[in-house]
Amino acid sequence: MRKMSRRTSILGLSVLLGLVLSGCANNAELDTLKPKGPTSREINTLSNWVFIAGGVILLMVIIAVIYIGFRFHTGKPEDDDSYPPQIHGNSVLEIGWTILPAMIMTVIAVGTLITHISVNSTEANAMEIQVEGTTQSWEPTVVVVGQQWWWEYRYYLSSNITASDLKGISAKDLPPADIVTSGQMVVPAGQEIELIVTSRDVIHSHWIPALNGKRDAVPGRYSPWKIEADNPGVYFGQCTEFCGLSHARMRMQVVAVTDNDFQDWIDTQMQPAAVPAGAEELVAAYRSDGSATLPDDASAAARGVEAFISNCTSCHLINGVNDLSYTGANQVSGAAPDLTHLASRTTFAGALLNLYNADGSFNRDDLSAWLRNPAALKDNASTDPIPRGMPNLGLSENTMSDLVAYLSTLGPKPTLQQIQQTQVN
Amino acid sequence: MATATAPAVATGGHEEHRTATGMSNTKLAMWIFLGSECLLFGGLISSYLLYKTRGSGLPVPTDVFDIPFTSVSSFVLLMSSMTMVLALSALRRGDEALSRVWTLATAMLGGVFIGGQVYEFTTFLREGLGFTTNPASSAFFTLTGFHGVHVALGITMLMSTFVMSSKGKLHQEQSETLEIVGLYWHFVDVVWIVLFTVVYLVPA
Amino acid sequence: MAIVEKPLSIGTSEPVLADRPLGVLTRPKGGNGWRDWLSTVDHKKIGIMYGVAAMFFFVVGGSEALLIRSQLAVPNGQVLSADPYNQVYTMHGLTMVFLFVMPLAAAFANYLIPLQIGARDVAFPRLNALSFWIWISGAIFLNSTWLVGGGGADCGWFCYSPNSGVVFSPSHGVDFYAIGLLILGIASLVSAVNLITTVINMRAPGMSWFRVPVFTWMMLVTQFLLLFALPVITVALFFLMFDRLFGSQFFNPDTGADPLLWQHLFWIFGHPEVYIVVLPVFGIFSEIIPTFSRKPLFGYSFVVFSGIAIGFMGWGVWAHHMFVSGIGPVSVAAFSLSTMFIAVPTGVKILNWIATMWGGKIWFATPMLFSVGAVTMFTIGGVSGVTHSLAPVDTQQTDTYYIVAHFHYVMFGAGALGLLGACYFWWPKIFGHMLNERLGKVHFWLATIGMNLTFGPMHILGLQGMSRRIDTYSSGFGFALWNAVATIGAFTIATSLLVFFYNIWKSKKDAPNLPDPGPDPWDARSLEWMLPSPTPEHNFDEVPEINGLDEWWHRKYGYDDDGNVVRIATVEEAAQKGDATNVHLPSPSFWPLVVAIGMPLIGYGLIFNLWLAVPGGLATAGALFAWALEPADDPDAHHGGSHDDHEAPALTGADTNEES
Repeated sequence: MRKMSRRTSILGLSVLLGLVLSGCANNAELDTLKPKGPTSREINTLSNWVFIAGGVILLMVIIAVIYIGFRFHTGKPEDDDSYPPQIHGNSVLEIGWTILPAMIMTVIAVGTLITHISVNSTEANAMEIQVEGTTQSWEPTVVVVGQQWWWEYRYYLSSNITASDLKGISAKDLPPADIVTSGQMVVPAGQEIELIVTSRDVIHSHWIPALNGKRDAVPGRYSPWKIEADNPGVYFGQCTEFCGLSHARMRMQVVAVTDNDFQDWIDTQMQPAAVPAGAEELVAAYRSDGSATLPDDASAAARGVEAFISNCTSCHLINGVNDLSYTGANQVSGAAPDLTHLASRTTFAGALLNLYNADGSFNRDDLSAWLRNPAALKDNASTDPIPRGMPNLGLSENTMSDLVAYLSTLGPKPTLQQIQQTQVN
Repeated sequence: MATATAPAVATGGHEEHRTATGMSNTKLAMWIFLGSECLLFGGLISSYLLYKTRGSGLPVPTDVFDIPFTSVSSFVLLMSSMTMVLALSALRRGDEALSRVWTLATAMLGGVFIGGQVYEFTTFLREGLGFTTNPASSAFFTLTGFHGVHVALGITMLMSTFVMSSKGKLHQEQSETLEIVGLYWHFVDVVWIVLFTVVYLVPA
Repeated sequence: MAIVEKPLSIGTSEPVLADRPLGVLTRPKGGNGWRDWLSTVDHKKIGIMYGVAAMFFFVVGGSEALLIRSQLAVPNGQVLSADPYNQVYTMHGLTMVFLFVMPLAAAFANYLIPLQIGARDVAFPRLNALSFWIWISGAIFLNSTWLVGGGGADCGWFCYSPNSGVVFSPSHGVDFYAIGLLILGIASLVSAVNLITTVINMRAPGMSWFRVPVFTWMMLVTQFLLLFALPVITVALFFLMFDRLFGSQFFNPDTGADPLLWQHLFWIFGHPEVYIVVLPVFGIFSEIIPTFSRKPLFGYSFVVFSGIAIGFMGWGVWAHHMFVSGIGPVSVAAFSLSTMFIAVPTGVKILNWIATMWGGKIWFATPMLFSVGAVTMFTIGGVSGVTHSLAPVDTQQTDTYYIVAHFHYVMFGAGALGLLGACYFWWPKIFGHMLNERLGKVHFWLATIGMNLTFGPMHILGLQGMSRRIDTYSSGFGFALWNAVATIGAFTIATSLLVFFYNIWKSKKDAPNLPDPGPDPWDARSLEWMLPSPTPEHNFDEVPEINGLDEWWHRKYGYDDDGNVVRIATVEEAAQKGDATNVHLPSPSFWPLVVAIGMPLIGYGLIFNLWLAVPGGLATAGALFAWALEPADDPDAHHGGSHDDHEAPALTGADTNEES
């Protein structure tokens, strides 16, 4: 009976092993074993070697245990009460199996150090970009700011910002950036992107498994990291340092595009948001502290501007609307996503929900549901004295529908291909 | 300690307490405990060193130190180690009365030190350095506060031996009790010397 | 101590156990009323209480694990929402580490160390009782947060700042975490001082360091780790408590504090803590495997030295928990290398255990099955551990389920299975009857298969990119299959535990009809097996003279001229009878219990209302004072001269506690 169960467990083990080796689910977007960039590939090569070495050693130990179990198994002392030779040890053997693992570890250590140095070094890869008509030499760098429970990506195109430039500055008072986006980091493919990772509240960790390992976002610290994608595409990520209620729902994506597309993206993102027809006067009046009313036949989008001004401006910023009066969000982190070009992104609420349906239409349902009660879709602490997360504003259905209409205009609309690639579920 | 090592024989007679090292259990335990205490103060001192300049624009401890004053109270505490030694050697000689005098003197010197610390803390508070002011002040008050609590416990132990001696329960043969209290007391003194040097004397 | 025919009085003259003769014990079989348990200073009873309480918390922590696995069984699970999930996984970790594995190891340490070194009790029996009572009050305090603290701590067992701050965790859960762990820390510290003193000072005549059984050796290293690791976490917990309750600024980044301070302090404790959990089972393996292989441990001194080496090296690797925290590439490289090389002494041990089995005559009784299984599981956990000592690889693996898999193979596969095996091994010694072998084997196979089903798939999930500590996951990431398997595994483990409890009940019921196991049912090697089962209250009739390693075995067996093993004495001839009378035993005391009761009251006071702390403080301080006045043994019980210097130890003993 004992032999039976042992044999079954060996069988089970090999079935398990087979399943492991046959690979994981096809659409595992966070898979760490499918590198899509040079850094993650280096890490993967190292880990493949150590997995093989470890696997061989493990297999040898398990085989040894099973073999010894079968060969030297005699049963209860009643059946055979003689004693085998009493061997207390063997110094040569013991010294040998102390030195041998030490030597194996030394080999692994050398490989580790080489990879470690390479992973932590950066290359100078300044690229030419056009910023408002002037050519800049830009060392691709993105300042990555975590807060409960979404990621902000800040692009300083006019200057080559480094971690040491920011030392001593609170992440709540970062210098104004040329482009601020959230949930999706757009980068040129084939370029090494330097990341400067920080946080505005608790510790988060920024991780795009296909491109590199993770780096913690620690408040008060600016930690350097890097990513690089071989090809244009979308690479999923997940916050990996426990950061409270919606840690599981704090996601992000890297959208790698060609250099040309990246230039186009810069051009559009640098623009202020387009104001829907009919709301121009309202916006102009708001910006000059005057007052104006919408025409009676104003479009839903125009009414949405009014709704935005009266409901959203204490937290959210839209360049061209409230950028002159915006002072920071009423949040512990002091920040809420910049909505200037919301509809140019394909996900929202920390890359948790789709902003567009797979057929390319605007996802009014999810956005409305979100506005109706954010905490129902993503746990938050918006009822705390100082909120963390978007509160339920108690908006009427009409107001919500106007807001959705307005927000959907904050384009430009991404391509269908990009919408489909970035779908989350 | 007595009981567990007490001889096993049933005859009613007894052997000397046997311990494998020859050192009594209690004294050994105190040494082991002090080893642990080293790490406690190690952690506190390291944390202070990390934080000592982090004032967020408000005063840090090094801004308000009164070195001459603290030097005097440090000297007082140092002297208490000497009286502790005298108390123990008196008891070992069998001079219980003298031992009591020195024990009391040790406790009083410790009391003076604590008094000095209380005065120092109130001064700092008046100068705008409170427990909650900034990381530097929190670390400073926690570190010195922990040390102060240790001194206070030492005083309690000293007074306990003093009372025991007064009641005639602490004789030459039990001098190890006083020795163990002394071990603790010297440890607390040594910690202060390290603390005073690192916190007060080493420039920011 | 000793022979008392008079009533014992405690503290004041109020007679407490007026009608019972105490002290010496002409071996009363009775004396198991509830008062005797509350006031006992007997290391064996204390050990049993640790064991029972630990198994209770195993059920608590296990139920929390089942909740976690139920929630994660399918994508977008609806069993727990985020907030309760975070509390449950936090409390699961705390319960399993501090309230199950550590106290179950402490149970064996308490019970066995004095027996293995030929002592009559630990060095400070009352402090030993104090450790237990403080531990249990800390355990109850920590769990009382469910009822009075507005839910459990929700910051993870690692409780990184600033997420542990009052802004981010406004309920009282984290306050209970900080104060609860402080109380538990005091218990462990007192216990560490006590057990270290015991092993250093109370070994039987002739038991030189290289004749000390490996279990005791590993426990000694463990206690040293506790001794030096606890004060560090104590500092961190005080900082956290001060921040939350009194507004200090240790972890507030807005005023310039560095959140990494907590991480360093936590892991300087937290990494040795890992070895605190596994070293005891290394000791257990080293007792069980030789016994059932009928061979001495292969390379005793290598096993001992590698244990000591792990104890030292364990201090130099803490920052491998922080490879992605941003501590700088040079630190990362240094800690990466130091971590790799701690694998060497660990590997040595595994090879030594295997070599012990080689050429033996192996009897796969339940304890042996558990030990061999646990060594194998530990090897898996060790190899996966090596893979994340490689810092670049760790940047992919850390904070994923791969890590969860790794440390569960170590903590559950080696730790829990090893300790459960130890239950089967020492059960006859402790309770006088065997556990059912057949049920034991069912237990083993269910537990082993269950744990591999639960934690094996987590390796894959981690490599697929599933983060730790997430309360839910979307269907799109491909995590569904292996999570479902893991949940099935978790319920298999739960079933195995039910089998174990049934076994305990059934074995007890069947015991009267089965042959008495006698002192040495397994033909074992160390001193505890020369005592009758269950161990008599006074342990040894006569403290044995030690002539070598595996003393007990050498009293049973010798060698003939050809070097073959021959029996020289039967167990009955060699074993002690346990019938000595007039043995000095330490007197029971209620004060440890009273001291311990005060501590959670102080904790509630700090959290809710300082006035509550007053009765707590009075209880603790008053009991310590009364303790100091109460001689270690009843003075009326003196017989013979006044060689005892009890008062002094009592005093400093009390102060020692106050300090910590």
